[in-house]
Amino acid sequence: MTLFDELVAVTDPERVTDRPFDLHLHSADAGLRTGEATVVVFAETTEEVCDVVRLAARHGVPLVARGAGTGLAAGAVPTEGGIVLTLTRMNTISDIDPVNRTAWVGPGVINLDLSRATAPFDLHFAPDPSSQQACTIGGNIANNSGGPHCLSEGSTVNHILAIEMVMADGEVVILGGAAPDPIGLDLRGVVVGSEGTLGIVIRALVKLTPDPPEVRTMLCAFPTVEGAAAAVSGIIAAGVVPAALEMMDQGMLVAVENWLHAGFPTESAAALIAEVHCAPEAADAEVDVIREVAEQEGATEVRVARDEAERALIWKGRKSAFGAIAQTAPNYYLHDTVVPRTRLVETISEMYRIADDADLTMMNVFHAGDGNLHPLIAFDATEPGMADKVHAAADEMVAACVARGGVLSGEHGIGAEKRDLMGTVFTELDLDAQARLKHVFDPDRVLNPRKILPAGSRCFDYGGSPLPEGTWI
Amino acid sequence: MTGWVTDVHPTREELDACVHCGLCLPHCPTFRLTGNEAASPRGRITAMRAVNDGVLSVDEDFEEMLGFCLGCRACEAVCPGLVPYGRLFEGARAEIAAQRPTLVSSLRRRVLGRVLPTRRLVETGSGVVRILQKMRRLLPGAVGARLDGLRDLSDNPPSSLGRVAEPEGKPVATVGLLAGCVMDSWFGAVHHASIDLLRRAGYRVIVPRGQTCCGALAAHDGAAADAKRLAEVNRSAFAGVDIVVADAAGCSAHLADYRHWVDGGIDAETKDITVVIAEAIADGRLPTLEGDDPVVYQDPCHLRHAQRVTEEPRTIVRASGHRVTEIDPDGICCGAAGIYSVLRPRAAGELGTRKADQVRATGLTTVVSANPGCEMQLRTHLGDSYRVIHPVELYRERLLAESV
Repeated sequence: MTLFDELVAVTDPERVTDRPFDLHLHSADAGLRTGEATVVVFAETTEEVCDVVRLAARHGVPLVARGAGTGLAAGAVPTEGGIVLTLTRMNTISDIDPVNRTAWVGPGVINLDLSRATAPFDLHFAPDPSSQQACTIGGNIANNSGGPHCLSEGSTVNHILAIEMVMADGEVVILGGAAPDPIGLDLRGVVVGSEGTLGIVIRALVKLTPDPPEVRTMLCAFPTVEGAAAAVSGIIAAGVVPAALEMMDQGMLVAVENWLHAGFPTESAAALIAEVHCAPEAADAEVDVIREVAEQEGATEVRVARDEAERALIWKGRKSAFGAIAQTAPNYYLHDTVVPRTRLVETISEMYRIADDADLTMMNVFHAGDGNLHPLIAFDATEPGMADKVHAAADEMVAACVARGGVLSGEHGIGAEKRDLMGTVFTELDLDAQARLKHVFDPDRVLNPRKILPAGSRCFDYGGSPLPEGTWI
Repeated sequence: MTGWVTDVHPTREELDACVHCGLCLPHCPTFRLTGNEAASPRGRITAMRAVNDGVLSVDEDFEEMLGFCLGCRACEAVCPGLVPYGRLFEGARAEIAAQRPTLVSSLRRRVLGRVLPTRRLVETGSGVVRILQKMRRLLPGAVGARLDGLRDLSDNPPSSLGRVAEPEGKPVATVGLLAGCVMDSWFGAVHHASIDLLRRAGYRVIVPRGQTCCGALAAHDGAAADAKRLAEVNRSAFAGVDIVVADAAGCSAHLADYRHWVDGGIDAETKDITVVIAEAIADGRLPTLEGDDPVVYQDPCHLRHAQRVTEEPRTIVRASGHRVTEIDPDGICCGAAGIYSVLRPRAAGELGTRKADQVRATGLTTVVSANPGCEMQLRTHLGDSYRVIHPVELYRERLLAESV
């Protein structure tokens, strides 16, 4: 039997496809890079996932897990061909435990749906990527996703207690557990952020966070981007750690306002969105500190959302920003590099300089409190030579961040997009250690191959050993 | 080399508005049902782009992908990139009609583009339906069930075509009311309520005889030539009025998009009846009545998503002395979607059942909705013990009861 027939045999003819349109649509995510899927499978049960993984291994075909396809680093793109395993249908939420604040969640559950399901218990899932209305928990785990509120709550890894995973050999394991710190090696922590390269997560025990007693959302407008950036570290240095601290520059404000009509300050060079979660008694004081620092740094307007509707509108604008780029150009490219907060001001200036020098349109919308930048270059990929120019500028931006003590990615993952930049932040020894870890989980390199780690990460391993047999090393 | 053959095909410029961020996915009813990219707005747009770029062609799979789309335009309302999905959808459907005509689909388009706009034929058809309704008990289940969503046609009031209604004082403006294809024969009471409320709100109302079906169903199904022709007829028929008003959400949404079919669109403002009446209530031209009886309000997609009209119908419900009970924060389509419920009974049935369950969960038995398709779908899935009514009817009913 062919791989296709075998996949049909273990699932359902309606859930396996190799028709040209289906393959085309499943060969991309929300980023630029595309691959070529060989076949697409929609799994519904653990057994099906196990069978599909075994078939992939037996046929030696790459297997790429996919959720909603909102990734930006090509983590779910079948760059090496093979099976795209879509997990959107495994979207059950069960065992919501309001006392222990946990729930078991399928990988296909949409992030926002989880928080909606737990809202009656005044609980939510804290990681809130901007794509939270669309992205799935499986993808959040794969990329250790962040989001505005990770400033105070930490990223996905802090909210996953246990993982049920199908290993490369088709066996099912549970890593971690309901206890806050299970004994033994923290394999759960290893899997979160591994982008489907170590196993296929089929269920997760998530930690739920109580809704804050008091929320204040502020919008501060600044005449300069540098002023806004300076306010970011100023606010935290003043002793307030907001639940979220986000920046949008003028280009972004204009694009979002054009769609949403939410009253964003489009005349300003930049705006900060600051949100305070605290006890009701403390709210005014925290708001005052933020206002004071913002005004010191030149803020021309500081607005506090009057009600839930205004608050929701501000966040809707912030979280839809990437999509709004389309009003400017049909394509965008970005890296989500991170720099120490204290170096934000100079780094941002440098980003704009690089874009200006290359004559590219760049907009910024990012998790300022974390120092997690998103310099978005808007362009038209059909212009000859444009893609190369954009990549070159983006690489230069990454280098500028790394030179200031930064890292490659805050939350989007490495995927294929940033794979070849790994050498700029890791030594050969670091990469080798990571490659060995991958080898332990997936010796035949079936699971999302050639993602995260650049070719040659594992010393002496790729492409056969250069050493004669019997050599002792 | 593109794979398009018509002059209404999706254009590169329109397609470029999509950066495939995927924020539309969870808002799409068919993606929600299947979890399949190919059943999502982004997937459909990517497919159109592949045809536009000559990578893939308008084949059986393309036809299926676009055929599965309800055309609810929920994706359009949430798109920060302002992708004109409704336009793209109609363009792609026109390509399918041109490139893959079948006997059945051509016949269907003929019905939508030629029969529905012909008053005499609609009246004849309605006569047959009226007889079938009387024989309901004798009909086999599947045929009978098709009739369950309809109002009792023997109660339908006389046609509004040709009517002119004058307000008491100097008219605020002249409103031309779209009689529609089946609205007049099947939902005539909605027209009567609309005309009366408009008149009370100070409008001079005319229902021009020269008008025809708005062409929405033809446009959705790819009958582009008919859609153009109907738009042109209506443009002439409504020449001289200040506002063209439709009291079916699907029609008012299509009127608002007439610029896609005739240069410059219609020479007047176009508005849904709920918008005009809500304005009149806000201005005090129509009264706000006392009362707090709870009713369910269901958002028609072509009001909520296509026209972003959500507050106005609720204003009318509240002004009629009722409290609005919400059922669905996302406004997911009920599955009616024009003739979709007939063509795709399985998906339409799943969505209809979901919607009906949401209504039942409230424990209320009156549902207000401003579109005939939704009304029929809700009635089909809720059964006889529920009352489904247009907001202008609800408001006028209370208004008359108060004035007695």
